[in-house]
Amino acid sequence: MKKIRPAGSFSLQTYSRHIALNIITALLLSLVCIGIGQANDLASPGIQSLRIDAVGALAAGEVPKVHFRGSDARHQCLITGTDSNGLELDLTRKATFRFEPEGIASIDRFGQIVPLGNGLTKLAASVEGAATAVLQIEITNWDENPEVSFPNQVVPIFTKLGCNGGGCHGKAAGQNGFKLSLLGFEPGEDFEHLVKESRGRRLSSAMPESSLLLTKAINAVPHGGGARLEQNSQEYRVLSRWISQGMKPGKSDDRRVVAIVVGPEFRRMLPHQEQQVSVTARYSDGTVEDVTPSVQFESNDTDMAEVDKRGLVTMKSLAGEVAVMARFQGQVAVFRASVPIVGGVNQWPETTNAIDAAVIAQLRSLNIPISQLCDDPTFVRRVTLDLAGRLPTLAEAQSFVQNAAANKRERLIDRLLDGDDYAEHFANKWMLILRNRRESQGQKAGTFAFHRWIKDQIASNRPFDQFVRDIVSASGSMDVHPPVVWYRQVPDTFSRLEDTAQLFLGQRIQCARCHHHPFEKWAQKDYFQMAAFFSQVRTKPGQSPDEAVVFAAMGQPRASHPKSGESLKPAGLDGALRDDSDNRDPREFLVDWMVDRNNPFFAKSIANRYWKHLFGRGLVEPEDDLRVTNPPSNPKLLETLANQLIESKFDIKALVRSICNSRVYQLDSEPNGENLLDRKCYSRNYPKRLSAEQILDAVDQVTQTNTAFDGMPDRTRAGSLPDSSFRSYFLTVFGRPDATTACECERASDSTLAQSLHFANSKELIAKLAEANGLPASLASRTTSHPEKLEELYVRAFSRKPTDSEIKAAVDYLESKSDKLEAFQDLTWVILNCKEFLFNH
Amino acid sequence: MHTMARSHPFNRSASMMLSILGQFGSSRSYCDGESRRSFLKIGGMSFGATAFGLADVLRAESKPQAKQSNKSLIQIFLGGGPPHQDMWDIKSDAPSEIRGEFRAIPTNVSGIEICEVFPKLARLMDKAAIIRSVVGSKDRHESYQCLSGWIPDDLKALGGRPSIGSAVSKLKGALNPAVPPFVGLAERSSHVQWSDCGAAGFLGAAHSAFKPDGPGIENMKLNGISLERLQNRKQLLSSLDSLRRDIDTTGVMEGMDTFGQRALDVLTSSKLVDALDLSKEDPNIVAKYGDGKPYKYQFDGCATRNDHLLIARRLIEAGVRVVSLSFGRWDSHGKNFDMVRDHGGKLDQCLSALIEDLEVRGMLDDVTIVVWGEFGRTPKINKEAGRDHWSQVSCAYLAGGGIRAGQVIGATNRLGEYATLRPVHVQEVIATLYHNLGIDVASTTVADPTGRPQFLVDHAPVSELI
Repeated sequence: MKKIRPAGSFSLQTYSRHIALNIITALLLSLVCIGIGQANDLASPGIQSLRIDAVGALAAGEVPKVHFRGSDARHQCLITGTDSNGLELDLTRKATFRFEPEGIASIDRFGQIVPLGNGLTKLAASVEGAATAVLQIEITNWDENPEVSFPNQVVPIFTKLGCNGGGCHGKAAGQNGFKLSLLGFEPGEDFEHLVKESRGRRLSSAMPESSLLLTKAINAVPHGGGARLEQNSQEYRVLSRWISQGMKPGKSDDRRVVAIVVGPEFRRMLPHQEQQVSVTARYSDGTVEDVTPSVQFESNDTDMAEVDKRGLVTMKSLAGEVAVMARFQGQVAVFRASVPIVGGVNQWPETTNAIDAAVIAQLRSLNIPISQLCDDPTFVRRVTLDLAGRLPTLAEAQSFVQNAAANKRERLIDRLLDGDDYAEHFANKWMLILRNRRESQGQKAGTFAFHRWIKDQIASNRPFDQFVRDIVSASGSMDVHPPVVWYRQVPDTFSRLEDTAQLFLGQRIQCARCHHHPFEKWAQKDYFQMAAFFSQVRTKPGQSPDEAVVFAAMGQPRASHPKSGESLKPAGLDGALRDDSDNRDPREFLVDWMVDRNNPFFAKSIANRYWKHLFGRGLVEPEDDLRVTNPPSNPKLLETLANQLIESKFDIKALVRSICNSRVYQLDSEPNGENLLDRKCYSRNYPKRLSAEQILDAVDQVTQTNTAFDGMPDRTRAGSLPDSSFRSYFLTVFGRPDATTACECERASDSTLAQSLHFANSKELIAKLAEANGLPASLASRTTSHPEKLEELYVRAFSRKPTDSEIKAAVDYLESKSDKLEAFQDLTWVILNCKEFLFNH
Repeated sequence: MHTMARSHPFNRSASMMLSILGQFGSSRSYCDGESRRSFLKIGGMSFGATAFGLADVLRAESKPQAKQSNKSLIQIFLGGGPPHQDMWDIKSDAPSEIRGEFRAIPTNVSGIEICEVFPKLARLMDKAAIIRSVVGSKDRHESYQCLSGWIPDDLKALGGRPSIGSAVSKLKGALNPAVPPFVGLAERSSHVQWSDCGAAGFLGAAHSAFKPDGPGIENMKLNGISLERLQNRKQLLSSLDSLRRDIDTTGVMEGMDTFGQRALDVLTSSKLVDALDLSKEDPNIVAKYGDGKPYKYQFDGCATRNDHLLIARRLIEAGVRVVSLSFGRWDSHGKNFDMVRDHGGKLDQCLSALIEDLEVRGMLDDVTIVVWGEFGRTPKINKEAGRDHWSQVSCAYLAGGGIRAGQVIGATNRLGEYATLRPVHVQEVIATLYHNLGIDVASTTVADPTGRPQFLVDHAPVSELI
């Protein structure tokens, strides 16, 4: 791993006459660098300033203060230094601490301050005796026994220790007869189960340490979950005190956590560096408190960074962006780190395009080199597959490469966007996640009509917000308004709400149906307020027995909260309540909220989906899981795309056009130096396997054969199939989804044995190769030279001409076989099995 | 009959002390009818650490480990709802309009009697266990619940719950790269749900059963080209397939390379194709299993394919982990007794042959066999000498896999209407099968497409069996 050479360091390989002095100086420096287990040597001279991070804003010159109330209070100290390069470093574990006066508080080597008694004291933190930072500490109520709050102190302990996770007591059935609410979302229920159930056998306020809760937790008594707690730990003391105080449940007007804040929110770091984070909770009564030891931390990319239970983040060796999620009592926050590639001088091209600017800004900041632009053959194949879902024809590929116009790429993009194939390709994409599936022959008219409608909207470039409105607020009968078919396939309120949220808002809100969402702030109330929008949807029999008519019933839309029974009015997530005086179908208000330019989810989720379609990886992954705790790899870029979409009034073709015309889209997949390791910053093209439909159509196109689909006209392409219910082993084995879910992830992209067998050896493929009118037969019977035939085969399959070595290998093979037909079949088989054929690169 | 369970050696509780210190989480009741938890609820003395039995301490100290040996499973689905009272739970004391035409015959375990149509199985009772009190079945003509523990509606929006075979495929993968971990033998029946060999559900198509019909098996034999020609093609491919693999961030390219090589392995030496080919088996053994012909009472169901049980054994030997098959059509709304004589006789022949065959090969402890259907049948015989659907209670027959054999678990009332003793939920049976495969259902989860970890079933294994 490349290390940084700090300014003024010494090389021990210097044999000068001052070698003794050099050695001594180096030793002194390395003594400072050893510190307490730091993996890099950046804490050497160069620290310009030091500060102790405070909670909240400080006035100029103000000294940060912490007030500890009671002996349970804790504070995670963060000592931050700035070096000569302006880089901020976490020096908490390197600082030496001194209290003045001593004995009032103590600090451990990770920077956690523990109060020891009432009084005032000052903490001085210094690094290498140079800079010093000061923190004022006041401790009050230390010897009072403040009432331990069950929801604010006891329940977070269960969450932190993993007692109430989905693997143990938190699951629906509890564990071994003891049930807690999942991740502590329902402290009231937890109190009932813990204190009142089974005649209170779990707790003993007269002898707290003999309580089953504690004896099991330390495994003094056999516990399926083992020892979760040490007897001399702070958590044990808090639990024990709560029990001895008489197991108070807390009052309904006690303060609640309303938000948590992570400090710092963002850091630029180097590989193998460490960063301690601290988490502060804001309560409903305005108080603010450090809760770092009680927070659950999780890294979103453990290949890049890990975090331990005290909030110490350790970077590994990869460069890139990583986020650490912090969760506490239903609130979430994120720490983000950005790690550049170290060493190497790179250059990035200038650009005026906003998309390129956002990508290049990130690459520059992370020092990731950018690849070259791809050549014309690669471009024509890539863009035709991405926009039209098929390979370019022989004529298209040849004429594009030969065209000398400077703006030919731009014009090709325009031509493709205006073509019928573009509408087919994207209709396929949308109809599958809109669950366009037929379960009986009688439903065929409906699914075909829905597909046709989707295709028409895409072809005419209907503004996307109107497209969504037509689906979500669909009413009437299938022959007049085909999107009602969506309501047939998504048959109940919950699925409708969940699909709508997942498809168009990128919110996987399913979790919040049964409990507070584990990774977001959505509570059941938020879920059911959304569900209320669909509460008036009804169906009645229509003309055809298979297609019902959808309508909205009279009456005010409501949903009742499953726990409290409260009757909830509809409201968008974090949105305003719908007014009862609005006499439109309540779904109209939902769509109003969704497509409003200030809606935080809609534009981003649509832009992200299209980005993923073109690049193989969304800015947010998975593409329908936009969470605070799952941040985009390039927030500026996502914002740029979303704004573009909003400003253009949701013009999808404009979005696609602008992305395809960017430099970033046209980069080669060939790496440039260190960017081989880049997986999410778009410094080069990431190859993606062709979809099942694309592979079948490409095979047909190259072999000049057709595949028959039940009930469809001849020469129907797989990419044009109007619903998911056509049986084709080929398509199934390559992962074409069945349209039973709203998730693009239903499309399987893994490789399997069945796939390889089918592609190598199936009757279907062999028949295509052997077809009398197919390409192998045609090539075999022609009198032109082998190299010419080879060139045609290559351009048809790869859009490029073969290299000399490829010509040689192929021609040698052709000449070694006496049966020319067989030889060409073999050669075509080989071309189809090349990764270059099966991948869009 | 209902005292059977209590007097059985494994269920006897020797003393009051032992009854308090019963097994963790067991729903067994003890001599005085009280369970441990209810004893404590009533307000017994406070317990310190020493009052808990050794078994509990050992259990707490060791988390269940997934066994690494090659455990496998053969699921024999009796489609239609096999009549429990005419097979495993003969109600000799019931009046004639309920009892039916069959007598009970003794087995080689004293005290256990089964239907007279199973003379061979009666001599193998010491290798099997019968559960007479299976509850929780849904009145639906499909194999889904027997294969997964759930109905198809559960988690439908995500793709549905996975069957055991698919879960094992996901959790354990293939034992041998050229042999799929999960094979379903049933040929498609008119009533399609009976030949369903187990859905992959939300785990995705990659974990569906391999079905040796149609393109799946056809592709395993060279189709119109010779092996030499295939190898020539592969050689030319290696010189032309030049796209760099390291530019792929998804791992799919590498996966295709790996499976491409394995495909060649399969085509050059197919263990799987051989396993399916009975002409390669000793004819005496083939004759011993029989072929189940002529097929009778089949209608819209599956045929009585005795040979499938033999193929299942061969597949297990080739490295398949879970084989699922469908035997016969037991939905006897009419001519119940004739059907049982036909199907029962054939099942007796092939199932006993399978058990003995596995034992001779030393495989019986590693292979679990489960034989059951989607529900039981009505106690009262109808006008067509048939029985109708009865989901309140049914039976399951298990053998092998290291279960505690030679016992009957649970009992029904005199008329065979409901469970009176030790009701066993369908999912407890499934949990037992998972346990025998080395998967602990209490701690194992699989991620669904939304990322949420899902447990496989919500019940624990049948403690009396493991």
